[in-house]
Amino acid sequence: MATYRKPVSIINEAGWCGGCGHGVVQRLITECLEELGLQDKAVCVVDIACSYWSLDALDYDAIAGPHGRCAAVATGIKKVRPDSTVYVHAGDGSSYVIGLSETCYTAIRDIPITMIVVNNGIFGMTGGQMNLATTLIGDKTVSSKEGRDADTMGHPVDMLNIIKNLDVEFAARGALYDAKHIDETKRYIKRGFENQMNKKGFSIIEVLSPCPTNWKMTPIQAMEKIKNENEKMFPVGIYTDRGGETV
Amino acid sequence: MNTDYVLMKGNEAIAEGALRAGCRFYAGYPITPQSEILEYMSLNMGKRGGTFIQGENEISSMSMIWGAAAAGARCMSSSSGPGYDLKQEGISYLSSYNLPAVIVYAMRYGLGDGEITAGQDSYWEAVRGGGHGDSRQIVLAPASVNECASLTYEAFDIAEKYRNVVIILSDGAVSQMIEKCNLPEPKEHDIDEFDWVISGKPLGTKKNKVTNLDRTIGYEASDKYVLDKYKTMFENEQRWEEFETDDAELVLVAYGISSRVCKTAVRQARKNGIKLGLLRPVTVWPFPRKAFEKMPESVKGYVTVEMSLSTQMGEDVLLAVKHSKPLYSYLTTYHIPTADGIVDYCNSVIAGDVEPREVI
Ligand SMILES: Cc1ncc(C[n+]2csc(CCOP(=O)(O)OP(=O)(O)O)c2C)c(N)n1
Ligand code: SF4
Repeated sequence: MATYRKPVSIINEAGWCGGCGHGVVQRLITECLEELGLQDKAVCVVDIACSYWSLDALDYDAIAGPHGRCAAVATGIKKVRPDSTVYVHAGDGSSYVIGLSETCYTAIRDIPITMIVVNNGIFGMTGGQMNLATTLIGDKTVSSKEGRDADTMGHPVDMLNIIKNLDVEFAARGALYDAKHIDETKRYIKRGFENQMNKKGFSIIEVLSPCPTNWKMTPIQAMEKIKNENEKMFPVGIYTDRGGETV
Repeated sequence: MNTDYVLMKGNEAIAEGALRAGCRFYAGYPITPQSEILEYMSLNMGKRGGTFIQGENEISSMSMIWGAAAAGARCMSSSSGPGYDLKQEGISYLSSYNLPAVIVYAMRYGLGDGEITAGQDSYWEAVRGGGHGDSRQIVLAPASVNECASLTYEAFDIAEKYRNVVIILSDGAVSQMIEKCNLPEPKEHDIDEFDWVISGKPLGTKKNKVTNLDRTIGYEASDKYVLDKYKTMFENEQRWEEFETDDAELVLVAYGISSRVCKTAVRQARKNGIKLGLLRPVTVWPFPRKAFEKMPESVKGYVTVEMSLSTQMGEDVLLAVKHSKPLYSYLTTYHIPTADGIVDYCNSVIAGDVEPREVI
């Protein structure tokens, strides 16, 4: 029987809403770092959005923002401190909308960092506006009140389908709606850190994650929505793996 | 004695000065008239064991600097005009945690895309800028290739001394001209020298959280820290050069390329019995107010010589003299001033044909 202990890297409470996926993601990150013995080298890069809570919650050196620029910030750190384990924990607005070019060019440069993107289909921190990259057609947000309409707002885009063509080390998408998927997501994240440990290239792990507060749903409804709707547009799995091993 | 004389472009001297100061991280995006800094770094940074990155734009370049500076490296970026606008976000972030970094602004003239030639009309952006929020940057204005190297070299020490952004304010002319230059001694910087860096440290030891300083140490402590620091910088860092000011009746105030022409103008005017002097701010922030306090009684007024459309530095002169003397401004927009033009203008001032300026 498995015994669970809280990662010792988590030293403060974070202020995420109940049922939010960010906390699960933080937990998986810390578990992976501790299991790989990397916790003493970790440098955490968070965005000025809901992932910001991790800055103080963890016993790691950490840096925040600017909004959208996390991959570039991590690039600066990793170049100066190649032996540190530098990771990004940021939202999908940060990583795919305002910071699209930072994310893509960090991938193109194949900077050996581990980037974890929380795809919650919405701008969480600022009150639930539409995310150009990830809000599904028809989804209502405070800035698409009648539902996202492709004619005026364009279609969402599966960024991993683009990033996988940029010759990166590893790109995968996980989800959090049941134990099996959480386990799978953890394996992806761990792989991202192993790659960094082994001096390989850029790894990106996107996580389909609920934002019950701004989706105006209960945590359970939010999990159901991911399973029934979001995952159809954003399939989970490995998009590219230069190492070639199956996870 | 360092006999390391070379012939160099201003931009190259800035880049070499930075490398010799131990700058080991550069990220930037091309724009005239500063691109040679980036090009020089692309060739030479790797040889010194540092990192050169041609960023996808100025914003991301500054974000890389935010990370690299937090990780403890001496780092630099450079830009001009519209590119410098995009650096403002990064400068504000650097200022929010009080991280040292050196940013070069080689001014080009004009609004929007403007011209690619020299100008000094971004004085306000360099001196009053710094992005959103309330911060100050030390702004050093080289007037020769030699100063491009020496001030940039020193800028890294100043930046670390105060944990502050230092700006090298050059212009298209100073950046592009080729002159004799005496290069400073190369040195290395230890990225672990300071206790505020992020590096990845064992659990249970003190960690750094690089974000707004007030979020880490509280508003009260942070406000006090920055206000004390800005006051100290203002008090200690004012630098200027005086030329023939002892008995001057009219004092030219100019920096960068304009100040060089002003020297010729002073000599020329004095040959004709006009008592002209020059006060050249080397720091434009802090503006050298102390220099104005010690100006001789003989001074009847000040003339700024600026490559701008409206008087910009002139406002700082009025503040420095507390409106006690009249201000005139000889403004040459995208033309480098000529000594004849300056002397003619001063003759008109003396003849009473020019109205003093308040604003514009
Ligand atoms: C330059 C800039 N623009 C806008 C903002 C405001 N802002 C902060 S977070 C955010 C969106 C957050 O959404 P996402 O990145 O998806 O993260 P989440 O909060 O959902 O985790 C915005 C628009 C900002 N801080 N900086
Ligand atoms: S607003 Fe959404 S993303 Fe942010 S903490 Fe709450 S549930 Fe999580």
